Amino acid sequence: MKKKALVVDDDEKNLLLEKDLLEVAGFEVFEAKNAAEGIAVARKEKPDIIVMDVRLPDMRGTAAAKILRQDKETRDIPIVFVTASLMGGDRKEIDAVTNSGFMGKPVNTRTFAKEISKFIK
Amino acid sequence: MADKTREELIEEVKLLQKRVGELEIADTENKKNEVLEYAESIINTVREPLIALDQDLRVVSASRSFYEVFKVNPKETLGQLIYDLGNKQWDIPKLRELLETILPEKATFDNFEVEHDFATIGRRVMLLNARQIERVLGKEKIILLAIEDITERRDIETGLEKAWKELETIKKIADEASEFAQSVINTVREPLISLDQDLRVVTVSRSFYEFFKVDPKETVGHLIYDLGNKQWDIPKLRELLETILPQKTTFDNYEVEHDFVGIGRRIMLLNARQIQRVSGKERIILLAIEDITERRGIENGLEKTRKELAVLAIELERVARVKSEFLANMSHELRTPLNSINGFSEVLYDETFGTLNEKQKKYVSNILASGNHLLLLINQILDMAKVEAGKMKLVLSSLSMKSLLSEISMLVADIVSKKKIEMLLEIAEDLPDIEADELKVKEILYNLLSNAVKFTPDGGKIGMQAKKVYSGIEITVWDRGIGIAPENMEKIFEGFFRVDTPYSRVTEGTGLGLPLSKKLVELHGGKLSVESGGLDKGTLVRFVLPIVSYGGAR
Repeated sequence: MKKKALVVDDDEKNLLLEKDLLEVAGFEVFEAKNAAEGIAVARKEKPDIIVMDVRLPDMRGTAAAKILRQDKETRDIPIVFVTASLMGGDRKEIDAVTNSGFMGKPVNTRTFAKEISKFIK
Repeated sequence: MADKTREELIEEVKLLQKRVGELEIADTENKKNEVLEYAESIINTVREPLIALDQDLRVVSASRSFYEVFKVNPKETLGQLIYDLGNKQWDIPKLRELLETILPEKATFDNFEVEHDFATIGRRVMLLNARQIERVLGKEKIILLAIEDITERRDIETGLEKAWKELETIKKIADEASEFAQSVINTVREPLISLDQDLRVVTVSRSFYEFFKVDPKETVGHLIYDLGNKQWDIPKLRELLETILPQKTTFDNYEVEHDFVGIGRRIMLLNARQIQRVSGKERIILLAIEDITERRGIENGLEKTRKELAVLAIELERVARVKSEFLANMSHELRTPLNSINGFSEVLYDETFGTLNEKQKKYVSNILASGNHLLLLINQILDMAKVEAGKMKLVLSSLSMKSLLSEISMLVADIVSKKKIEMLLEIAEDLPDIEADELKVKEILYNLLSNAVKFTPDGGKIGMQAKKVYSGIEITVWDRGIGIAPENMEKIFEGFFRVDTPYSRVTEGTGLGLPLSKKLVELHGGKLSVESGGLDKGTLVRFVLPIVSYGGAR
């Protein structure tokens, strides 16, 4: 059975790239363009992993993660934050989220899916 | 009868002598007695002690004042030898000299000074006047001795003399002091005047005339307020001299601001001293005037500058923060499109979704190369900004420099062999481990080695040398390439300065590699320098990393 991945990114091109890379690697991929949509899909599909941008139009990715962590259905889903921002503040914010990882943009297309898979237990 | 002087007395006695002689001729006993009584009364009236001695120096007669002055009585005096008077206390050598040696030769003697310690009346200084009179009072020879006690007078004279001498000394000292004070007044650069109690100018220092552009004629003796056409009539000065000074004898740093006709607006600091003159009750006010206009101007300027600087510092801090935020945002905004440019071209190049023809593959490869170049630029600009904002933090760990150096040389082996360049490595055996930020050290080395490759012709030589030095590890990266012209030596650290090289495509570099490397070395507490023999003479970059870097994140 295919692993389910949810990709949350407001940039359609990035969303497409990450989706393609994960599909090539054999994932079943769900997409969301903002945090609210991402939370709804996560609750519905209960993916094995969530790949999420930090800067989202409706709220920060880390704030969305907090909501997911309060719901027992989505509490244990690993979240990998993909961000173009490398400032120290963002790192602290991400580290505060349990069961989470971090990946810088631009992503390495050759290793992306493999890196993501590592976060699934 | 009033006191008579000695001369008058002598005249009277001479007159008596003459009369007595006449009387002898007349041979009238009664008249003779009358005259004698008269002479006796004269003797008793004068205040000066007076005694008459016979030729054997025995007392024939003594005046009342003699008894009073020498505290003796007639019984123990009359008929006695003068030397035996008052328990022999009149046996004075000088008196003997006068009576026995001088007087027999001279009939009179004036102002013969005798000093003697008397039992009853203490030490006395006497002036003796003697007259030898022939045939009087039934005696063959009478000596009239007038004794003037000049002890008090002598004391007064001595005292006076002493006083005069002291006065002389005081005057001399005062003169010296005054001369000294005058020279002090004239020497100090600070204008100085002294005023009397009526606030009239007594003395003025030369600097006062120079400073206030006035001359002595219109200054000395004038009321201070009237000086320089009444321009000294300053309310605050009046307050100081008339209200404050009478209550306090000194006053320091009294600030007065005034607009002077000759010299313009001045701020002065007044220091005043009230001095009581030694002789007399006069008061003297010493007034020192310090012109602090320039100083105040400088102080005010400084204060203003300080405030402006503080404002500027706040503004700078804000600008730096804005710049830093701007760069963080910019790098985020630039990385997002780069993510798709590089990502999609990489996927295309990898032919994940189908094969490309040769032309397509070449084009995609170009897009990917430019994308990666852009990414490197963004990263380096962000790093430069971070270092400059003091926000670049080192992550320190213990590094084996030997393995790190060989790792780096492997990393550049690819580009080195592409240009058929020979790379010479000289790494000392005793190279110690250092504490540094691994990624940053690798970045420095990579930047320098790739520069060496970039500026060296195909088939040329580059090299890297590492050795232990006193202050840490010294690493040298050299090439035999295009070198640096002397006029460009400063510019290479400015950023975005790139030397055109015929040996590499210009677009490869960012112009930030060397400046960033220098900053990263300095962040470790090390030093980086560049040497070149000039154009086409090659380049040598030398840097030292300390064994333990400071400024790292703890």
